[in-house]
This record gives sequence, structure tokens and C-alpha cells, in this order.
Amino acid sequence: MSSTDYLAVAGAGVEAALASGADAAEAYLSSGTSIEIDVREGEVDTIKSAAEKGVGLRVFRGRQVGFAYTTDLSAQGLKAAAQRAVANAALTAGEDFYRLPEVVPEYLQVDIFDPGLPEKQIEEKIGLAKQMEAAARTHDPRVTIVESSTYQDGIIEVGIVSSTGISAYYQGAVCGLYIALTAREGEDHQTGFAMDFRPRFVHLDPEAVGREAAERAVRMLGARSQQGMEVPVVVDPYVMVSLLGMLAPSLTAEAVQKGRSLFAGQVGNQVASDKVTVVDDGTLDGGVRSAPFDGEGVPSSRSVLIEKGCLRGYLYNTYTAAKDGVSSTGNGVRASYKGGPEVGITNFFLEPGEISPEQIIGEISSGLYVGEVMGMHTANPISGDFSVGATGIWIEQGRLSYPVRGLAIAGNIRDLLNAVDAVGSDLRFFGGKGAPTVRVSKLAVSG
Amino acid sequence: MLVDKELLKETLAVALNRGGDFAEIFVESRQVAGIGLEGGKVERMQSGVEAGAGVRVLAGKATAYAYTNELDRNGLLRAARIASRALGNGGKDITLDLTTLRPPVVFEVRNPPETVPAEEKAEKVKEADRSARAVDAERIKQVMVGYGDVVQDVIVANSAGVHVEDRRVRTRFVVNAVAADGVIQTGAEAAAGVVGFELFDSHDPGEMGTVAAIRAKSLLKAQPAPSGRMPVVLSGAAGGTMVHEACGHGLEADLVQKGLSIYGGKQGQKVAASTITVEDDTTLAGKYGSYAFDDEGVPSRPVTLIRNGVLEDYLYDRLSAVKENGESNGHGRRESYQHKPIPRMGNTYIAAGRDDPEQIVREAGSGLLVQKMGGGQVNTTTGDFVFEVAEGYLIRDGEVGPMVRGATLTGNGPEVLRRVALVGNDLGFTIGTCGKEGQGVPVSDAQPTLLLGRSRADSPIVVGGTRQSSDDGPEVRAVKPGDPFKDQDFRLGRIRRL
Repeated sequence: MSSTDYLAVAGAGVEAALASGADAAEAYLSSGTSIEIDVREGEVDTIKSAAEKGVGLRVFRGRQVGFAYTTDLSAQGLKAAAQRAVANAALTAGEDFYRLPEVVPEYLQVDIFDPGLPEKQIEEKIGLAKQMEAAARTHDPRVTIVESSTYQDGIIEVGIVSSTGISAYYQGAVCGLYIALTAREGEDHQTGFAMDFRPRFVHLDPEAVGREAAERAVRMLGARSQQGMEVPVVVDPYVMVSLLGMLAPSLTAEAVQKGRSLFAGQVGNQVASDKVTVVDDGTLDGGVRSAPFDGEGVPSSRSVLIEKGCLRGYLYNTYTAAKDGVSSTGNGVRASYKGGPEVGITNFFLEPGEISPEQIIGEISSGLYVGEVMGMHTANPISGDFSVGATGIWIEQGRLSYPVRGLAIAGNIRDLLNAVDAVGSDLRFFGGKGAPTVRVSKLAVSG
Repeated sequence: MLVDKELLKETLAVALNRGGDFAEIFVESRQVAGIGLEGGKVERMQSGVEAGAGVRVLAGKATAYAYTNELDRNGLLRAARIASRALGNGGKDITLDLTTLRPPVVFEVRNPPETVPAEEKAEKVKEADRSARAVDAERIKQVMVGYGDVVQDVIVANSAGVHVEDRRVRTRFVVNAVAADGVIQTGAEAAAGVVGFELFDSHDPGEMGTVAAIRAKSLLKAQPAPSGRMPVVLSGAAGGTMVHEACGHGLEADLVQKGLSIYGGKQGQKVAASTITVEDDTTLAGKYGSYAFDDEGVPSRPVTLIRNGVLEDYLYDRLSAVKENGESNGHGRRESYQHKPIPRMGNTYIAAGRDDPEQIVREAGSGLLVQKMGGGQVNTTTGDFVFEVAEGYLIRDGEVGPMVRGATLTGNGPEVLRRVALVGNDLGFTIGTCGKEGQGVPVSDAQPTLLLGRSRADSPIVVGGTRQSSDDGPEVRAVKPGDPFKDQDFRLGRIRRL
């Protein structure tokens, strides 16, 4: 569809809602095409292509709000969805803070569409996945099983039209590589993975991703158990990202207003060590979650949430902002047309420091480098408690010396943030979340 | 019906006209309703209609899959052409007949959710909220209640001549309570099944609210869990996370064939104590992982995976079955038309044994009683798994002692199954969403009360609590992390509790 047709369909959705009795309405239309290619042992295992579109209608009636979605974009389909949305509104509790955002004169240009991507032939994409698998196997002969070597890309179009006059459209793209493999030596199996997602095709480096996955598996071969003790712990960027992921919900105004945030009532307080700066940036150059506007047409922005350990604020959508009497930060995020604009993260990351990972490790006489954790999804984002299994490499005299396994790390995310005493310069993104290498001065490791 | 037989045949013919050994079309229409309550108010009322179709072509070892949500002739044929071109280089014309299969089981839905007024659904949600708050007006700080129902109509047709039409109705209800008193703790209670609104005949929303709130409140006073190896009793009421993680995923044939399962090549061998029989029965009435046909149109049937400790069978979809010149045993499942089917669990359980659950606690001596399990994760290559304890108690001198919080259990699947000391005569199912390769499907699982290990030294389970001990601590080995690009982090086999 052209952007004009696109906005016409969304506009028809708004009209249908108003005709069904809504006082105000918004239509969020998205469509996308994507491809995913899995290669195993040098041959294509699976090719998946997708074409999808749908519309979500949010309607306001008095102090109430309702939502419905459909994949049927005909006049009849839109009408049925509009009627369901209005009926849903009638059953929700009324509130004074439901509203649509105001029109903005202009959105920031964000570079998120690689015009070269739609031109790429499938053979070239298959080639990247093959190259990545070969690089992993060549890197070390002990890499015996490649579970999947995957290339993925997607192009998305988003249009929002509202009865307050918003009429906005963008096109975005992302492409990436993912590999999961197993290295074997005798009876010892160790797994490794790596990934890289980018807005631009030319930035993909299959050799590097393949090598990294191989290295992550091979470095764990021969891992031994280790006595538990309280030691400095260096956290790998990927592991730090999963810890940050646990933090994210607590930094939304939604969680704060609902009494389920660790950080409620703490703005202006020191909530982490002064090495810690946490940012959400929907305008980030090269970020896979960057966009000119959020899921309700509010311009994306950069929000510093924790600055040198001090809590500066929370993320807002239009509703939570109205409740607190502030402006939306452009974080009304939609997972798809099937949901409303909930407060969520865009590109969410821990700001890098100035010191290299080698230096961070070099300052430790005895400690643990955590390379992987297991069971992070069982951590409790409301209390901040986590208890995870960990594997990694033991540090002796400032050097990574031997792989260890059979360890557990348990604690509370806030204690961990307070104990951060070094942040590396090596910021890396894994999808929309990023972190550099981080050192925690002391953590009880049981093993 | 969504798509008639003639168009299905035409689509399959186009899918195969560049060569290819097998073609299939999966058409789906999904009608959903959802309600979310928080802060004492119904905040979200949502409903949606989604329709789409996926066309799959198999050629040699390769699979092509294309999906669309344009269900007219143009849309379907376009998807079929995309799938055929992705792999094809030959060319052939086929004619095929489609024979409609009869379902092996019929799940009666007494009260179809699409006919229940939304007011009635909202009332259930409010009832749970009221009773949860009534548990302790001061300490219960937040209550979240979710209601959801899905009516999924599917058609599966393939070039082997199979044609299936099926309607799946699922209803679920989840209560989460947050208690605070200096510390914050949470408690949950959930119910779901392949049922309609009659879910509430057997699950009272008020009672569920009370249970969730009491669980959260009790945890405030609970002491941190101990760390280390110790005998563990998994209560029959605790759910089946252990069997799901310890062996279920490792018995999925695709992982076995890729060399990614510790259970590979062990058919006919002893892999568990003789008292252990593991079944996956998708024909069970009302369970969350039940279906009449799987998502490849294969009729559902019970499968015995381990009989008296001996590995008997794996879970197959068509593709993995064909690789071994066998037939699917009805476990090809997919999240939606947007996904290709892969081998998945349905209702997985360890069959009940003979021992008295109370006697099992007495025999444990001193250890941990797990009354409710949370989510878990497994590395199928090594069999190492981890799961969280949502409600646990110390056992002292064979008696149930005080509640503990923050425990995570780790162990190795085959080792744990070999060292099950006692098997109770009870069985309790729990429900969850199982994630694998980015696809979530509804499942249920169950275990009888089990005693794992008779002494500290003998126990195959390590408790990783927040109370640190330096002597013999937890042991967890490497596992692959998830795919954060999808923001759901479940590339690995793992389960999230509702």
C-alpha cells in the first residue's frame, strides 16, 4: 500500500468508530513482510516468508475506553471491530485521564529504513546464514552441532490516524543474524550463541557472529566446579542485558502508579552506584527500536532514567502522563496492532563507561566472569529478587584463567546496582536492549 | 466455512507445481476476548478477530513456509507460489482428493464463551479482586486479574489427502496478588482449559483470589530458602514443571534428531526408576493441552513416553516421523498460522504410584517440600534444568515446617528420574504456556507426590536459595539463553506459568 492508501484505511477505521458512538477514536494500522532463513550443515533447512496486516481501534466514550482489533480491513470488518470496541468501552471503569495525544507539527526524521533491503535477493541472505555457520565450524573443530544458523529480516509500515487530527506514517526495517551451536570434547557438551540485529543490511557481519558463538561454547569446555565465596564479579554484556530487562518494568510510570515498582517515590534518590546511567532512547541512531513516533503518535524521545545512580524519572505514555500531570515520553509501545499503547521500552541501555573489559578484569586478583545465566525469566521484577544458575570463567591475577560451572547467584537487583564499581566502554545491543561489561564489587557466589 | 475444499485443493496444487514432496495448508480464524483488572478497576476490555493461512512445502530436507492474512483466492495462491518458489526447481501437475477425517474425541463446550455477555466475564474478574483484597486490606497492595477466552477455528489440508476442520475453545483466568510489608512478595493462582465459561463451575474466582492473596501475604513472613543439596518432596499439588523440563522437552523428536537431547538413542533403555511411567495424553477432557487433532491434522491419541522406567517413544510431528520412516503420533503443534508445526508436548504427566503422600513427607526426614512450582528452563543437550519454587516449606524430622521463599531447584533430568525414591498415589495438573523456538503453546502437566533423594548426599536436587552457605552449594550448568530480539526470551524449551 502507498502511505496515502494506508492512512485512508486507518481513517476509515476512525470514521467507523465515530459512527458507532465513540466520542473520540484512534486507528493503528500496521503491516509487515518478513523472511527467516535457517541453514544447517550448509543447506537451507527452512525458509519462512510472511505477509501480515491488521488494525487496532481504540475508542473513547465519556470517561471510558475500549479496544478491538481485526485483520479484516474491509468496510464491514472495520465496522464490526468499531462496534466491538465501543461495546468494550462501556464495561471499563471510567477515568479522567484517558485521552488522545495532541497533534504535533512535525516528527523527527529517524533513519530506520534501509532502501537497499527490499532489493536484496534471497540467495544473498541464504549466503549470509551459510557463511556464518561455516565461520563457526572453521573457528574450532570442536563445534560439532549447529542447532540453527539464521538470517531474518522484516519490513514494517505503521499508520496512525486519530479523531484529534493525528495522521502519521512510517516505514522501518530490521535485519539480523542468529546462531546457536554446541561444542563437544569427549562427553563434555557446551552451548554457545551469538546474534546481531541492525537496521542496515551492510552492517551485518556473519563471520564475526559465527566466530563469537563458537568462542562462547568452546571457552566453556572442561568447566569445573568452584567453591562458593564472596568475590568481585564481572558480568558479560549479554547477561547484563537480561538483568536490565528485569529492571525495565519498574521504570515505567505504569508500574509506579500501580504500586508495583521498586522505584516508586524515589525520584531524586540515589538508587544505584554513581557508575550507573540507564537510558531509553527511541531516536537512537542505529537502534532497532527507533521510530519517529510511538504507538499513539507521540514523538519518540531520549529519557535518562537513572543518571550517575540518581533516579531521574519514569517512562510515560499519554494516559500515565496525564495522571501524573507531565508529558508523555513517547513510550506508548505497541507489541502489534493487537494491543493498545502500553508503557514500554524502546532502545533501553546502560550507558558505557570509559574503561575496557580487559582493564575491568585486570584489576581483579580473584573473581568470577559470568558468561551465561539460566532461569532469568523466573526472577521477580516486582520485588527485584533473582536466583539464577551461572557459568563463566574464573579470574586469577587479572586474567581469565579457567571455565567454571555449577554456580548460583542470588540477590536483589537493587543491591547489585549499588555494588557496580566499573562499567566498560564496550556497549553492545541485543535487539532493543544494550549493556557493556560491568563489574560488581562483591557478590556471594555459591558453588 | 473459511475456505472451501476446491480452493484448498487448488492452493495445494500450486504449492507443489515446482516439485516438492509434500504440501499443506493451515487456515485459522481466531476470535479472542480479554479483560484486565488492576487497581480495583476493569482497565482493559479487548476483543479481536484474526484470520490467516500458512502454506508449507517440504522438498528433500528443506521446508518452505509462507503465511498471509488474505484468505481470498489471490492471497492463498500468492502464499502457495512463494512457498513453492522458495525451494522448487522441478515441476509437476498433481490431482488430489481430500478426505475429511472424523475427530477421535469431542470436547464438549457447555457454555461457549462467545455467547456469554461481557458483563458476566467482567463480574468474575471483580469478584476475584474483592476477595483477594479482603484477605488483608493493608498488606495486599495490588491485585491483577486477567480473563481470556479464545475460539480458534482451523482447517488443515495436505497433499496426502487429509482434510480436517476443528474448533478449539479455551478459557483462562489468572489472579496475581502483590503483598508488601517492608518487603514485596507476589502470589498467583491460575486456571485454564479447553473449556468454555463452565471453567468457573469448577474454579471459583473468589476462592482463587483468596488463594493468591494468602500466598503473597504468607511469603512476607517466610524466611529465605536454604542453599545446598537436600531431599526434596514435590507435592502432587505442585504441578508438573519438573517432568516438563526434566524429560518432556528432551523427548521431542526434532531435538533428538538434531543431536540436542540427552535422551537420544535411548529407546528401549532404562532412563528412570522402575516406578516412573511418563505419558502425554492430549485426549483428556478439558485439560489445557488437549486437542482433537494436532495442527497437522493428525488425530490425537495418548502416547506413553516412558513405561516402568524404560524409554518407549518420543513426541513426533510429521516431519520428524518421516525422517525415521514412521508416522506422527499427533504432537505437531504451532502457535498460529504464522508458524510451522514442530514437535510439542500436550498434557504431560508422571503416572500416579502407590505411596501415601503424607508418608512421603515423613520419609524425607529433613529437606524441602515444594507445594507449588513456578516456571522452569532446561538445556536438553545436557538434561540440566532449573525451576522456581512458588510455595515451599522446610521439612524437619518428617514434619512440615515454616514457609521459605526465593528457592530455585536445579538438577539433571535423567539423574533425577533415576533417583526418585517414592511415588505418591495422587496427581495434580497445572497449566502453562510452553515456549520453544519463539512459539508459545498451551500445555498442562502433572506429577504425583515425589520424594527425590533420601539424604543430603543422595539427593539429585540442589536448592539455590538466597540464604548463602559456603559448604555445598547449588550446581547449575550452562544453558543457551533466549532470543532477546523477540523480547520473550524463550528460544529454549521452557515454561512460563500463567
